[in-house]
Amino acid sequence: MTTLIMPSNHNSIKTRFTYRFARSLKKLNKNRPASQSMKETYRRYHMIRVASYASMASAVGPKRAWSRAVLWKIRNRTLHRTLMKKSRIHALRTRKVSGNPNDLRKLVPGGEGMDFSRLLNETAHYIKCLRTQVQIMKNIVDHCSN
Amino acid sequence: MDMAGEDATVQLEKRNEEPLNYRDGNMSLQWKLNGNNLTNTSMVINPTSNSMIESLACSSDSMADSFAPSIWNQPIIGQSLGYCDLNVKNNASTSNTLGNGTGSFGPVRPNAMLKGSTFLPDFPVMLPPSLPHFPADSGFIERAARFSCFGGGNFVDMMSPFRISESLNPYTGDSLEVFMGNGSKSLPVMQSQRHEINAIECSKEVSLPVELGTESSPIKNDKMIENFPSSHDEAKYGIGVLAHESDEAEFSGSGFQEELEDAAGESSAKGLGSKKRKRTRQGTQLNVNNGGRQQATETAKDRAEIQQQGDQNQASSKPGGKHDKSGSQGSDLPKEEYIHVRARRGQATNSHSLAERVRREKISERMKFLQDLVPGCSKVTGKAVMLDEIINYVQSLQQQVEFLSMKLATVNPLLDFNIEGLLAKDPQAGPPSSLAFSSYMTTPYPPLQQLQTGTIQAVLPGLGCSSGPPQGLVKPQFSTVGGRLRESTSHVHCAWEDELHNIIRMGFNSNDPLNSQNLSSPLSSHMKTEH
Repeated sequence: MTTLIMPSNHNSIKTRFTYRFARSLKKLNKNRPASQSMKETYRRYHMIRVASYASMASAVGPKRAWSRAVLWKIRNRTLHRTLMKKSRIHALRTRKVSGNPNDLRKLVPGGEGMDFSRLLNETAHYIKCLRTQVQIMKNIVDHCSN
Repeated sequence: MDMAGEDATVQLEKRNEEPLNYRDGNMSLQWKLNGNNLTNTSMVINPTSNSMIESLACSSDSMADSFAPSIWNQPIIGQSLGYCDLNVKNNASTSNTLGNGTGSFGPVRPNAMLKGSTFLPDFPVMLPPSLPHFPADSGFIERAARFSCFGGGNFVDMMSPFRISESLNPYTGDSLEVFMGNGSKSLPVMQSQRHEINAIECSKEVSLPVELGTESSPIKNDKMIENFPSSHDEAKYGIGVLAHESDEAEFSGSGFQEELEDAAGESSAKGLGSKKRKRTRQGTQLNVNNGGRQQATETAKDRAEIQQQGDQNQASSKPGGKHDKSGSQGSDLPKEEYIHVRARRGQATNSHSLAERVRREKISERMKFLQDLVPGCSKVTGKAVMLDEIINYVQSLQQQVEFLSMKLATVNPLLDFNIEGLLAKDPQAGPPSSLAFSSYMTTPYPPLQQLQTGTIQAVLPGLGCSSGPPQGLVKPQFSTVGGRLRESTSHVHCAWEDELHNIIRMGFNSNDPLNSQNLSSPLSSHMKTEH
């Protein structure tokens, strides 16, 4: 039973993200298995993370290149989840000291095929949305844990 | 050029019935004109299209000299250029009667002359040093512009409005270089006098025609000659510069535009731009030429600009605006038709550098915006360091998301989501305290003391007890910040996965408030030591 109180700003990215993310969390938690094995939790963690990115990207809409890239990745990723995991772990382990534009391109989704000025644009918007995402998720966590 | 030339020649050849005759005639004329510094056998008319073009290129200014009325008899190569009316088939009659043709060669003469002279296909390029002697009369440019039109087209039409009387005089001094620069497509150029003016205005870049008019140095001729075969653009150059009053001379504008568009390389953009310019410039083709010429000099940037701005530029704008801008060295020329960037004083005005400057300014503007966005970057100067900071920040944000999602995975879901409450919880600008070693700690996290429950504290013990200093350093940050990690070093990344696993493991531990307090001090000490 979610008590949805309409926020003052109906259509902000924040609101949209919150709605979508809350919905996805609900869905995910519905099927939560009783056993909380590590593997299960890990899988859940993964799904939640994907859900948060997806909610944010869909909240942003197709206007931004990075949101489009995220959604595209997610759509194509569900089939190759394992592969993604492996590549991510590998990437994490082998990540090097940041050296500029290429790293930024890797970080910002969809940043590979852009010129630098556009990349900066997308980065700015991406940072803003990431911040919102983190904030909302923190709120949720606090809410859940209280 | 060749294309245009070929077009012209095709037209000409159609009209010319006996192109071969011209050659003879030219020759004879040439010798007559030698006195006029017709070093180039410019009068030789080469029926072949290419040759005409080449001749155009090669013809030196001396040809202008030679264009005494007698020359007009020459079978003007212009026929190949499309002087249908000019059919100067007759040979070397030095009389002013210009061949059989249509008869009224009078008006055509100047053109014919010029064209003939310029079309010295086979003549060795002899840039007559006589050029310097060309009087830099005001009308020169005008005339030069007039004769700048090469290639096919209604040359006769163009010629008709010509004032022969005017043209005659200057021709002696005129250098046929004009033709040289113009190349094949210049026909449309001969339009209004405005062109001339424009040509003068904008021709900073176009050295050829203007210089011809003024300085008429052989060097320029050489340049023209060189340029002429090299590109259409340069032909346009000449055309543009030589813009002269066309009067009724109606150029086959469409043809011209086609030619423009056919121009190699940049043609499409330029043609577009030139078309637009044409419209803007009171429909004068000179504008087109100018546009083409400008485009020749100004490369990608112009193209981009032109395409962007499209028809923005209005006829009212100075025709030479763009030229001026590109040509002048830092002068504040008021208007630019297509470029919004103004070359500042003392800065290079090369089209490349202009485009580069625009790009750099855009990037720096966005970097500034990012600087405001990323906390702690106000003091940082320099693109590289800023980029590093930005990258770090994005990475830290992404890690926070991961951490939080992991937390969510372990937390028992509370079903009543108070959306409003969730949204309303603005991050307090609470003092990060020990967490503040990173400027990234903008989102205040509820103080540790408040975290009496929750997975975070459950995690703390696990984190605190786990391995190694690097991880230890990371973990305190991790736990105290509640996910706000600042990654100052890359090696921290490798600890992430481990930590996440730890979190999972520890997430099931019971909450231990005591641990949190115990940990806070070592954590803070850790953090302090870290930095």
